[in-house]
Amino acid sequence: MSFSDYLLSTLGVYGLPVLFGVLFVGSIGLPMPSSLLLLVAGSFVEQGDMSLWPVLVVSATGAILGDNIGYALGRWGGRRVNNRISRLIGGEARLTRAKNWLKKREGMTIFLTRWLLTPLGPIINITSGLTNYSWPRFLLYDVLGEALWVTLYVLLGKFFSDSVQEMSALLGDFTWMIVALVVVAIIGWKLLSHLRSPTPAKTKTKAHDHLADETP
Amino acid sequence: MKKLSLSQWLLIGLFLVALFATGFFGFRAIRRAVYWSNHKDEQIKPWMSVRYVAHSYRVPPPVLFQALELEPTPRDKRPLRIIAREQNKPVEILISKLDEAIKRFRQSPRPPPPPATDGGTPP
Repeated sequence: MSFSDYLLSTLGVYGLPVLFGVLFVGSIGLPMPSSLLLLVAGSFVEQGDMSLWPVLVVSATGAILGDNIGYALGRWGGRRVNNRISRLIGGEARLTRAKNWLKKREGMTIFLTRWLLTPLGPIINITSGLTNYSWPRFLLYDVLGEALWVTLYVLLGKFFSDSVQEMSALLGDFTWMIVALVVVAIIGWKLLSHLRSPTPAKTKTKAHDHLADETP
Repeated sequence: MKKLSLSQWLLIGLFLVALFATGFFGFRAIRRAVYWSNHKDEQIKPWMSVRYVAHSYRVPPPVLFQALELEPTPRDKRPLRIIAREQNKPVEILISKLDEAIKRFRQSPRPPPPPATDGGTPP
């Protein structure tokens, strides 16, 4: 039996504490079947084994606390975390560039990685801390995004309560497709802007033509 | 034609990998959705409770409790894994018993639906 199956089997017996624990640990960045657990909880709500509001509140609280641990690690984790991430993405200069890129879009990135691009959530938490992004703003986007994610998945579990496994697999594929699509868009835009920029050779020729036009 | 640096070639490589991943996961999602719309039943797993299996397969819970030699209780949330441990049997045995009970229930003739009570004339 897989670890995921084991965790799911404890949800029916212990209920909310399991939901809280898995979402908390999963949001810090450890691999956990958080989405499947939310869908199963939704199915239990439909069958009358769990109540909707406690499930929503406890799940969102666990996820938000986990996210904030990630943020705190990035912000106060010191040079060690900074150096490790810097090495991971290819040097200090790249880290600075990534930080500048993120600073411009951080609010939207935090919000989207809570519910749509969920696999990127933990790394964005740490990066938000590293870039000293304002904590109240982080918390605002985090609460909005997690509330949307938890509500969406629990309600999907409630409506498709007889086939949560299939639903989870479908949502997993869909999420990874969106993540890959975002990567395609970002890299594609970068490549396109590089191809469109004038080459040094062309710039030289243009300057030469301009001078030639000016000569009588 | 511009000459590309090594990092730009790497970027192109990453772009192609991401493009492939988009197609791969997109195709898999569509295939799953099509399969799901035609096959409603999902595989029975050890984390499922008897009531969840009954709900998923649209079978009355007492039929499945009976198959596992259990007293049907409305609030039994135990997963199959724990029931198997308590009965000292491998969970696979319990799953195959449930599969058989579901098959038998679906093959058995159903009682006719109750007559219409809206007062309408029968055809």
